[in-house]
Amino acid sequence: MLATLSALTAAAAETKETVNPVLPTTNEIIYGGIFFVLLLIFMWAVCLPPIKKAMRQRDEQVQADLEAAERARAEAEQVRRDYDATLAEARSDAARIIEEARQAAEARRAELIGAAESEIAAQRQAALAELDAQRAAALGDLTAEVAGIATAAASQVVQRELDAVSQRPVVDDYVNQAIAAR
Amino acid sequence: MFAAVEFPPIENIVEWPNWFGSGALGFNKIAFMSFLAFLLPVLLFLIASSKYKARLVPRGVQTVVESTVDFVEKQIILPTIGPDGMGYLPLLLSMFVFIFIGNIFEVIPTAHMPANARMANPMLLALLTYVVFIGAGLKHNGPKYFVQALFPPGVPKALYILVTPIELISTFAVRPFSLAVRLFANMLAGHILLITFSVLTISLVGGGILAIISPFSFFMLTAFTGFEIMVAFLQAYIFTLLTGVYIGGAIHPAH
Amino acid sequence: MSTLSHIVHTVAQQAGEATADADAAKNTAAASGAGMAYGLAAIGPGIGIGYLVGQAVQAMARQPESAGQVQTTMFLGIAFTEALALIGFVVFILLKFV
Repeated sequence: MLATLSALTAAAAETKETVNPVLPTTNEIIYGGIFFVLLLIFMWAVCLPPIKKAMRQRDEQVQADLEAAERARAEAEQVRRDYDATLAEARSDAARIIEEARQAAEARRAELIGAAESEIAAQRQAALAELDAQRAAALGDLTAEVAGIATAAASQVVQRELDAVSQRPVVDDYVNQAIAAR
Repeated sequence: MFAAVEFPPIENIVEWPNWFGSGALGFNKIAFMSFLAFLLPVLLFLIASSKYKARLVPRGVQTVVESTVDFVEKQIILPTIGPDGMGYLPLLLSMFVFIFIGNIFEVIPTAHMPANARMANPMLLALLTYVVFIGAGLKHNGPKYFVQALFPPGVPKALYILVTPIELISTFAVRPFSLAVRLFANMLAGHILLITFSVLTISLVGGGILAIISPFSFFMLTAFTGFEIMVAFLQAYIFTLLTGVYIGGAIHPAH
Repeated sequence: MSTLSHIVHTVAQQAGEATADADAAKNTAAASGAGMAYGLAAIGPGIGIGYLVGQAVQAMARQPESAGQVQTTMFLGIAFTEALALIGFVVFILLKFV
């Protein structure tokens, strides 16, 4: 079959004498070759290097920016943590100071209260003592008066001058008994 | 409105008259496309690199250029050659943009002809790939490269009778041929497909009652135009990817 | 193979009888041979690419994390498989237009 086909092809080629659409023509080879080689040289030497350089530079810059952003984030994190720590410390300080102040105030209050109480107690003691003294004095006076009156009354009764001083123990005794009975 | 249109002879859809010059220096449409495929990427790259002084963040042209470079690096070089193949970036990038711009003229109005539907550019690039991958193998492995390529390690000795001729043919004979033919035939087929539907649409418009079918034909033409944009990209990608695979295989013959 | 050759011969003979023009007969035979060459060349790669892409989609569905690698390998496989159909297409062009 191949022989037949090739024979037919050859015959057709001989009779028609046309250009073969499959085969390249010289002028197109020459111009194609010239322009491709020119393109290759331009790409190699002129066009590609700046593009590649820019792409690499941008890649590097993007990488650097990413790293910088990461660093900044870490720094911010660190600052935040420091701030948090400082804040917590300040809070605990404040709490401690307040507590101390409260305790001091408490102590001071207790102290003041104690002082006031002791003063009050002392005053009361003094007042009581004075009262006792006055009462004793009054009692003495009263006893003396009562003794005088009783002696006078007794003198009237017995019609005889009684010595107030010599009768005094009797009166005292009685007064004391009255006080005790009361 | 339109007269029925005959399908043009093949010479009329792939052969282009010289604009100036003649013979071996005849400058025709294909040569002009090759020139644009050289000029446009260079201009774009220069504009992009001139803008980096103003700002480092890419915008507009810079985005296009950088995504192209990134695509060739990440999608072509890394999976095929690996990180040590970055030195082949200028070659593979030039190949990619040269083929892609040559292809995309297939769907650009007023051009409507892929430069790679002519055998010249695919053949040149395939031969360049052939030279480069053998050169890469020799550079990285020395003359031992041929031994490793023809007598792959780990194969039983008796099988070399079978393996070595196959390797010889597939590696050193078929590769450039299949590379060139793949690109060329894809673009030529797409070109003929688009012409077929264009001719069909116009013929149907001038074909009396058949004119009612022509919108469907026109829809197919539009759909295939979109498809051919994809093919233009895909063929540039595949050509470059295969170049990368061949270079990678020559550098690391163990895999 | 002999059947094909027979068909080509028959077509050539019939064309030759119909037109009584040797060149036209050869052209007709070449055109029919070209169509057949491309049609036959498209069968295998059609099946192959369908199977390949199907398997690749399955692989990507099972392991979406390796989709990129599978895709690259898929395009390589398509490129190798498609080459056969494209060689058929080139033969078609050679037969039809040359």
